[in-house]
Amino acid sequence: MAETASTALSDEAALAEQKRKEAYFSAGQLQLIWARFKKNRSAMVGGIVLLALVSMGVFAPFLSPYDPTIAGRDKTYQNGAPQIPYFWDQNGFSVRPFIYSYSRTRSAASNFRWVTSVDKDKRRYLELFVSGWEYHVIDLSLDLPGDFFDIDIQFLKSTTHLFGVTEGQIHLFGTDSPGKDIFSRTLHAIYTSLAVGTIGVFIAFVLALVIGGLSGYYGGWIDAVLQMITDAIRTVPAIPLFMALAAFLPDEWSAELRFLFISIILGLIGWPTLARRVRTHLLTERSQDYVLAAQLCGASPGHVIRRHLLPSFTSYIIVDLVISFPYMVLSETALSFIGLGLKDPVNSLGVMLQNVTKADVLLNYQWYFIPVIFFMALVLAFVFVGDGLRDAADPYASTKK
Amino acid sequence: MLRFGQFVITRFFLAIVTLLTVSFIVFTLMEMVPANCAERYLSYKSFQGGQISAEDIAAEERRLGLDKPYVIRWASWVGNVFFKGDFGDSCILRVSINQLLGQKFLISLGLCLTALILAYSIAIPAGIMSASSSNPYLNNSIRFVSYLGLAMPNFLLALMIMLLSTVLFGDSLTGLFSKEFRDAAWSWARVRDFMSRAWLPVFILGWSATAFALQTVRALMADENGKLYVTAARARGLSGRQLLMRYPARHALAPIINSLGFDLNRVFNELPIVALILVLTESGALLIEALARSNDQQLAGAIIFLLTASIVTLNFITDILLALIDPRIWKSIMGGG
Repeated sequence: MAETASTALSDEAALAEQKRKEAYFSAGQLQLIWARFKKNRSAMVGGIVLLALVSMGVFAPFLSPYDPTIAGRDKTYQNGAPQIPYFWDQNGFSVRPFIYSYSRTRSAASNFRWVTSVDKDKRRYLELFVSGWEYHVIDLSLDLPGDFFDIDIQFLKSTTHLFGVTEGQIHLFGTDSPGKDIFSRTLHAIYTSLAVGTIGVFIAFVLALVIGGLSGYYGGWIDAVLQMITDAIRTVPAIPLFMALAAFLPDEWSAELRFLFISIILGLIGWPTLARRVRTHLLTERSQDYVLAAQLCGASPGHVIRRHLLPSFTSYIIVDLVISFPYMVLSETALSFIGLGLKDPVNSLGVMLQNVTKADVLLNYQWYFIPVIFFMALVLAFVFVGDGLRDAADPYASTKK
Repeated sequence: MLRFGQFVITRFFLAIVTLLTVSFIVFTLMEMVPANCAERYLSYKSFQGGQISAEDIAAEERRLGLDKPYVIRWASWVGNVFFKGDFGDSCILRVSINQLLGQKFLISLGLCLTALILAYSIAIPAGIMSASSSNPYLNNSIRFVSYLGLAMPNFLLALMIMLLSTVLFGDSLTGLFSKEFRDAAWSWARVRDFMSRAWLPVFILGWSATAFALQTVRALMADENGKLYVTAARARGLSGRQLLMRYPARHALAPIINSLGFDLNRVFNELPIVALILVLTESGALLIEALARSNDQQLAGAIIFLLTASIVTLNFITDILLALIDPRIWKSIMGGG
């Protein structure tokens, strides 16, 4: 009796084991990558942070209580410190978080800086889903010169924002010198930087696929010439070149047009590394046995490319895209930081960083540095996820160690 | 030896061809910029209160040779650069670019190379140590430092240091020379003054270069350490530093030398921004000056070309160096065995 039970148990275990193996052997490449990626703790943490940041960027208008442009400025609270919501204080506990009222004065005694005095007895309570400035949940509009090129995709007009406060305004991260809410600006900046990165990566990706693909597929002299051009572009230091190109954007261009062109420039200069990878993937895969087997079976070149070559490296290309993303964000930030990229009405991380270059800020307005933390978190999260994906996509990664 | 000579000459020509390609690309980009040098210069003049007519522009174009076809202008530009080392005149400032850049470029190149040397002299021992030791604290702290180097771009680091030093010491540590030495001729005192200030840009430029180099060295060493010949050497009784220096470190050296050129590229990327923050008046900042203030395409082109040329030169040198020190490459060049 006991024996049969144990054999049944081991049978079950064997069955489970077999199922596990079957699942492993029949798993697609993406499933395998995901399984390996899940085991990498730092990459998973990075992934969660990244997801949070991306959704913060995408839902920026909903999450931010105030218009990040000059229209949404708080005239009564310029250069104001962050207002942190409390649940309790000496006056007792409250289920709804609250902030205090304040009054501000400035005089010659304070060197004409605003001095804020907090009135702890007057609470202002936080509210959810308040109505505020108007925005579109999906907003991909772009105002280009000439009416024909205008992109106008706006859906779901809304005035609801996640949170607000009963009277006056709440500034979680404080305000800058015109009185714009830094919290709202940071969220919009994440969106802009991600958007610039996405367009840049997309352009680089298309160029890389075409040029790397041609080079890797045809080989021979086409490969040689294309590789020489690619290598030549790769030796040019990118940021000085960005600067050279960005500096020639006419000053009278609108912020949106500038934004589009910066993204395009980033893409136009970012492709060589990707193209080289595409080519290397193609060249190594082309000489694999399974391709030869397919060819021997009479498969046409189109079939080989579609059914065998492309699936074999799409996952690697995705990984490469993720890896190249932080460099796009970094480049945009660097460009805007030196004043050649995006400019002030646009909120991008680089524009936000521009504000922290004065010693005055370090001494008096430390909250200007909050976007810097978000910027570093964004870049780090991308790097961790990229590294994790690269390790996960490499089938030999686990055997090497 | 003849074959080696052939190898050097082929590499040399390849480098020249790369440079030509780069110069063509840079020239084309500068050309695509709206408004040519004549219009730019004259509009700059008219800004100062002159009246400009279309004839003036045409005359100026003729004087600058801008009426000639594009390829011919490129050829004459490249010819002057290659054979005379002459970059022509700056578009707006109307002075020789050689004079404008001269020493400044050499100083910034020196800064970048020093930063690179610093990066590798830290990264090579640290990387070898972290790849070969099983101490988790050491490994994790080295990993942490290298990630920090990636996430904290140099310009942020420069900014932080500058702000902190302004607040703490009242001296912003900016500039490469103190006031009294800025325009002085080179002297021992000036060199000392330079040294006392140059460490900061070198440190900042070396910061993320070190992070990158550390990752490269670590990955390469980890790869080599797992290979069978290392196990075999260990089985023969070698251990510790002797083993590392004799086997895996030597193998890992070749790709490291190979990547030097791209590391220099990375340092150059950081240079203009760091230069701007630290108010260094060398070519990085000059580039921004040229671009942002005056849209000076000639000057910008010359700087980008010089930066690229130094990378290509470094690549050429590392190729030759690799052939000399790596017996595998040496044999493949010399043929046979």
